[in-house]
Amino acid sequence: MPLLWVLRDTLELRGTKFGCGRGVCGACTVLVDGTATRSCMTPVSAVGAKRITTIEGLARGGTLHPVQAAWIEEDVPQCGYCQAGQILTAVALLAANPQPSDEEIRETMSNNLCRCGTYLRIRRAVRRAAHGGVAASRIGGAQ
Amino acid sequence: MTTTVRIDRRAFFKVSASAAGGLLVGFYVQPGVRGDAAAVFRPNGYVRIDADGTVTVWSKNPDMGQGIKTSLAMMIAEELDVDWRSVRVEQAELNREWYGGQGAGGSDGTPSDGPLGQRAGAIARALLIAAAAKRWNVEASTCETGRGVVHHRGSGRSARYGELAADAAALPVPKDAPPLKEPRRHNILGTRVGGVDVPKIVVGEPIFGLDARMPGMLYAVIEKCPVHGGRPVSVDAAAALAVPGAKRVVTIDGHKNPTWLKPGVAVVAESTWAALEGREALRVTWDEGAGRDESSASLSAQFRELAARPGKLLGDQGDAARAFDAAATKVDVVYEAPFLAHATLEPQNCVAHVHDGRCEILGPLQMPTSGAQVVAAVLDLPRESVSVRMTRIGGGFGRRLTSDYAAEAAFVSRAAAAPVQVVWSREDDLRHDYYRPAGLHHVRAGLDAAGHLSVWHHHLVNVSRNRYRLGDTPPESTEIYGLMAPPFADPGKQFDNDFQPTLIPHCRLEYTEASTMVPTGALRAPSHNFNAFVIESILDELAHAGRVDPVALRLSYLGSAADFPYEGDNPAPYRPERLKRVLTLAAEKAGWGTPLPKGRGRGIAAHFTFGSYAAEVAEVSVDAQKRLRVHRVVAAIDVGRPVNPLNLEAQTEGGIIDGLSAAMFGEITIERGRTVQSTFEDYRLLRNRDAPEIEVHIVPGVEHPTGFGEIALPPLAPAVANAIFAVSGIRVRRLPLAVGGFRV
Repeated sequence: MPLLWVLRDTLELRGTKFGCGRGVCGACTVLVDGTATRSCMTPVSAVGAKRITTIEGLARGGTLHPVQAAWIEEDVPQCGYCQAGQILTAVALLAANPQPSDEEIRETMSNNLCRCGTYLRIRRAVRRAAHGGVAASRIGGAQ
Repeated sequence: MTTTVRIDRRAFFKVSASAAGGLLVGFYVQPGVRGDAAAVFRPNGYVRIDADGTVTVWSKNPDMGQGIKTSLAMMIAEELDVDWRSVRVEQAELNREWYGGQGAGGSDGTPSDGPLGQRAGAIARALLIAAAAKRWNVEASTCETGRGVVHHRGSGRSARYGELAADAAALPVPKDAPPLKEPRRHNILGTRVGGVDVPKIVVGEPIFGLDARMPGMLYAVIEKCPVHGGRPVSVDAAAALAVPGAKRVVTIDGHKNPTWLKPGVAVVAESTWAALEGREALRVTWDEGAGRDESSASLSAQFRELAARPGKLLGDQGDAARAFDAAATKVDVVYEAPFLAHATLEPQNCVAHVHDGRCEILGPLQMPTSGAQVVAAVLDLPRESVSVRMTRIGGGFGRRLTSDYAAEAAFVSRAAAAPVQVVWSREDDLRHDYYRPAGLHHVRAGLDAAGHLSVWHHHLVNVSRNRYRLGDTPPESTEIYGLMAPPFADPGKQFDNDFQPTLIPHCRLEYTEASTMVPTGALRAPSHNFNAFVIESILDELAHAGRVDPVALRLSYLGSAADFPYEGDNPAPYRPERLKRVLTLAAEKAGWGTPLPKGRGRGIAAHFTFGSYAAEVAEVSVDAQKRLRVHRVVAAIDVGRPVNPLNLEAQTEGGIIDGLSAAMFGEITIERGRTVQSTFEDYRLLRNRDAPEIEVHIVPGVEHPTGFGEIALPPLAPAVANAIFAVSGIRVRRLPLAVGGFRV
């Protein structure tokens, strides 16, 4: 069974989304040992002892990850369905490349589809997170 | 969109004590519909203030990304006069007594539902003032409010809303709705407010339809006949039922209205994956029906054959034939529209539980009111026996105006005698969508010797989504713009939306319906999303052919025309002056007429619909290999007094990117009666790297706000096509651009 359905139906971690089932849209992105990975294409048997981070596990001790905080500050989501995958792709990008160029941001974030067209705000939010323009933010603290 | 179920909006307000001893203000329509006086005491409505000061407001309509949950809450909170940061926003359930019709469509939430919430907020505020005045034994007129507190000017006394809630709940409702705030006193409307669900979205809270659960819930996946219009004849379920976790196979006969329920075979299982695996093993024999020989080629041939004959005459002014002969500059052209899929990123899904003569629906319903009616009809239950809770919706784009997925869940739940979540795969979604209708437009248009638009003769041949849904109005009513002047239309309903051909001295409008088994439905800015491409491209063709500036040509045909009555829900008329203003603003901000770097071109297009106005200028380059790059889009938009500029900018950017994605790649093709595309590999969407820079310029309107979830889309494709012509001399008359050899 793909990791996606184990997360969603068995572990009840439903923040990871089903979008295409073929690894094309990126809505199901999770981090496997820090690498952005399509959970819909990852057999659960292949995960072994690797560490999986889903959107639910990104905030630490009630404090949002800077990428999550930047997403709120730039008011990125429209429908919001793709955004968990977008955020995890951005987290993996910044972990590997803390100061990406605009071109690098566009290219990496092109791995994830957004049907609502939030691409410009996604770019701005990744830049904001990269350049430290994000105040520490409590979960649920912003509206 | 026109499928919105309208319920008489004559409303009145009731106040009741909520369960928590607070103040609850709601309204309901058509008193006596249920004759259930107790219903108004239910803890629901638009506003609740608890004794501890908590302020809760409800959005009656579901949010699919258009931001209405935030906008309606802002409109309520403004009139309630509270601090926005103190407001909790909840999604209302379906509740006819409290809310009348509920649903999201036609960019109608802000203009039509917003005022209901504003009145609810204003009444609550008036009652809180009255409670304070009574307590202090002063005139209500000497009290005022601010940020959730009532003040008495003379004595300096003040009381927080929470302290007044119980007293206010005991007061009689004012007979007349109190006046709304002067716009200059607004401190929420017009400010930049982030979406109320965004903090939940970024931490992955399970708030979408597919995240919904009920205790004991099973999962179902439905196989449908690959040929449109086909149905199952026999089912061999043995292998499917042998899949671990598979529980049951259910044959769905479908409803005579295929937008309610299509035939298919469901596999019900203990997990989504088991249901998907079970379906893989299912063996179904299909009756493919009359659609089996259809193809895109046969449809295109049919369109051309029909276009060669006169259509049904919808309007005729002047003498179009003679004016066309006499025109100094003329075009005689054919434009072709492909089928388009909605491709919401959240595939269709819904949870239903049918038990004890009732049906509970929990899912991403865009149209809960009509959805409940569909479910009731399919189950043969009274409508009152269907309850609906709406989740957040992972994208709509018109797809979820049709509630078929809720009917499927209900049908399968009844058969399985358990709560069931129906889940569509991406392949299901793309193969069995209700597509934007395909069609062909034949237009003969011309300019007179002075360069003015003098003739417009338009014959639209297409498949009608109104026919597909068994609408009781003529097939063209969902497909073409501007019902024309008498004697062809009721003068009071002269103007439907879109383009107004009667502004042109000689105009003639014809329609011919083509036949198909391919399912069709509304897609974001329905009919506008291609009609605008035709109209605005042809204006550009005429401008170039007649050596008239494209902006000047548009300003001249709009001229000094008076307002047109608008047959939408929004009472505001279509005002050509406002369209001219966005054209002028977009042109100015884009540097229209100023030199561009070599290899770049500009194109402009504008559109009116749903009470809103937009003009867009695209700046593109095309190289020798037809590699297209859209560098920049400048948009000017007029939605009256905007409720939330932050969201207006988002919707404008989103509409532009959606429009570009469809213009670039969007095409569903048919072979042997089947949809060819089934994944995001063969039904491509625009990715981040190809999104242009976008500038949004908002007209500081003073009119009552109108919706903006759709208006930015229609002008984008013609603006890009016109820019392509400007830089390359290639005129695009068929979308998507990829078919014409353009690539990104």
